[in-house]
Amino acid sequence: MDDFEGKRILVIQTHGVETPTRTYSPLFYAMAAAAMEIETMVWFTMNGTNQLKKGEAEKVQLDLSSDVTLKTMLEQTMDSEVELRVCQQSMALWNMTKEDLIDGVEVLGATSIIDLALNSDHVMYF
Amino acid sequence: MAVREEIRGCVILTNLHYAVEDHSWANVNDDGTVTIGMTDVAQNMAGSILHAKTKKVGVVRAKGRPIATVESSKWVGPVKTPVSGEIIAVNEEVAKDAEIINRSPYQKGWLVKLKPTNLDAEIAEMLTGDSAVQAYRDKIEKEDLKTCAHVEGFED
Repeated sequence: MDDFEGKRILVIQTHGVETPTRTYSPLFYAMAAAAMEIETMVWFTMNGTNQLKKGEAEKVQLDLSSDVTLKTMLEQTMDSEVELRVCQQSMALWNMTKEDLIDGVEVLGATSIIDLALNSDHVMYF
Repeated sequence: MAVREEIRGCVILTNLHYAVEDHSWANVNDDGTVTIGMTDVAQNMAGSILHAKTKKVGVVRAKGRPIATVESSKWVGPVKTPVSGEIIAVNEEVAKDAEIINRSPYQKGWLVKLKPTNLDAEIAEMLTGDSAVQAYRDKIEKEDLKTCAHVEGFED
């Protein structure tokens, strides 16, 4: 296992609850990166925004034989010290306010993605 | 000599030293090296382990830093070393068959061996014996952790 300590990865999630099979992997990869001591952030935009609305993620359950939901994955991701950020303009498209967001997610303006991408060692798009 | 205690089916060996919050164990070997692994509670929480990657021999790790990344179908996370030191050996079997950690978390599923750099102070911060059992009992009950299920061939 190579030593990637100090590196930064930005994960961009554009898919939401309407495509549940596209919601788990980005979070899983983010947790894996964090476990390798890589500074990791997930940026939610476009449809990715809707999974952050209170009450939505718990409805997404990929594996019916387990009790793991998208809500579980989001919580585990935050517990892994991955930072979650959401695009403010995308929130507006989904008629979401800050009060609609689950705890632990920071709202940033759309152009923040430029700084975040340029300051990352690698960007992963989903 | 190891005494086996069980809490909700989860095995705790009283001769080992535990960092309960991080779910890791340490065993001080006769030659002064320390073997590190993850506990029965941890392997059960992870589920069937699919892959495990350890840091390489020669890497120096401070207490609390990851010495391995473990992934199952529903979880991926670090295993943190409870003591500081240089990795002098890694368990090659884990790379070939990560489920060995589920089958034998305290024996064949060890992760790394360290040459410790601050053993006396750091081992004193870990729990062993009855105090380890009680701490794990408290944690399991407080967090309502599920009963440990063991795969076929499990050994402690």
